[in-house]
Amino acid sequence: MNEALASQSLEAEGRWVACPYCEAPCLEKELLPGQELICSRCDTTVMIHIAKRSLQPPFALSLTGLVLLLLANTTPILTFDVVGRSQSDYMITGIIELCRQGYFLIGLLVFFCGIIAPAVFLSCAFYLGFAIVLNLRPPGLKLVSTIAHAVRPWNLIPVYSVATVVAVVKLKMLGSVAWQPGARYVLGVAVMSILCEQISNRQIALEHLNKMGVMKKE
Amino acid sequence: MSLSDRSRVNLSRALVVTGLILYIPSNIMPVMTMSLIGKVDPLTVMGGVLELYDSGLPLIAGVVFLASFILPFAKLAALAWVLFLHGSPSLRRERSKVFKIVHMIGSWSMVDIFLLAVLAAVGQLGALASVRAEPGCIVFAIVLLCSLVAAEIYKPRLIWEDA
Repeated sequence: MNEALASQSLEAEGRWVACPYCEAPCLEKELLPGQELICSRCDTTVMIHIAKRSLQPPFALSLTGLVLLLLANTTPILTFDVVGRSQSDYMITGIIELCRQGYFLIGLLVFFCGIIAPAVFLSCAFYLGFAIVLNLRPPGLKLVSTIAHAVRPWNLIPVYSVATVVAVVKLKMLGSVAWQPGARYVLGVAVMSILCEQISNRQIALEHLNKMGVMKKE
Repeated sequence: MSLSDRSRVNLSRALVVTGLILYIPSNIMPVMTMSLIGKVDPLTVMGGVLELYDSGLPLIAGVVFLASFILPFAKLAALAWVLFLHGSPSLRRERSKVFKIVHMIGSWSMVDIFLLAVLAAVGQLGALASVRAEPGCIVFAIVLLCSLVAAEIYKPRLIWEDA
């Protein structure tokens, strides 16, 4: 009886938060280190304990990722050689060649998923991290958070790096291929992107933005 | 502008059906033509996989087969199942799990499109070696886009809502 009353009073006092995946209402509670609030409907992690420095790694990773993305786009990825004639591959040259051949849709798709989406995602993660870690309130934080969430599934730089490996295997059957520094940078951006996506938690960012008064709790 | 739930379901269904219809031509039509010292070789998605396998690279062939052949179909079939049962109270937890997996693995089917971009970039050595994209790549890209956009439009919360 007492337990039932206690539970009712907790529910009366507690706040409801929506599951970020299925939007089911979950009762918010104070979490201890290592504890998680799991959605009872879809088993998604709704809340985790916020460590003091938990936003610094995504901030650092996004900054590193942005620098590497710049380098990946300005240095050749590989060089293909057939009977003494060679050709270098930059990220943009494939897109230009596809457009030149009249395949604008494919060129646009590769441009968006391979260059624009990673750049936007990492820039947004950096902007949010910058604001939250330094406790600043630059303009457009809410919009940036929405853009980062929307562009995240289109950031396909890890897929691009796998495709590069497959391309090298295929090209080796036709001629000689030499890896160039750009390949390391592409791999670096892919790793930074994956880590940034895995480590950064939208709930933590929203929690901090909410504390800063930027947006209402979702 | 935000879509109503009904529009989301209808649009997702239309995209999935389009993707399933185009899946067969996307695997029959060549996606690129590779020519090396006069030898012209049109390649389909499956042809590329077989070429890798025949060259003694079964692991890479397996990865490409999984990413380019199995994943697009599996993703479309899973989405079709989720959308077919939309509004029904049965298997909601299972549908939610399947939809989550679709979201996680779906983008890996883009390997072939990126592969084409890398090959097209280096394969411009005139008569010695060239790589040309073929109309099949457009069909293949549309199949991938249909599955990616359908999965983005249909929201997981809709699984739990009654018709």
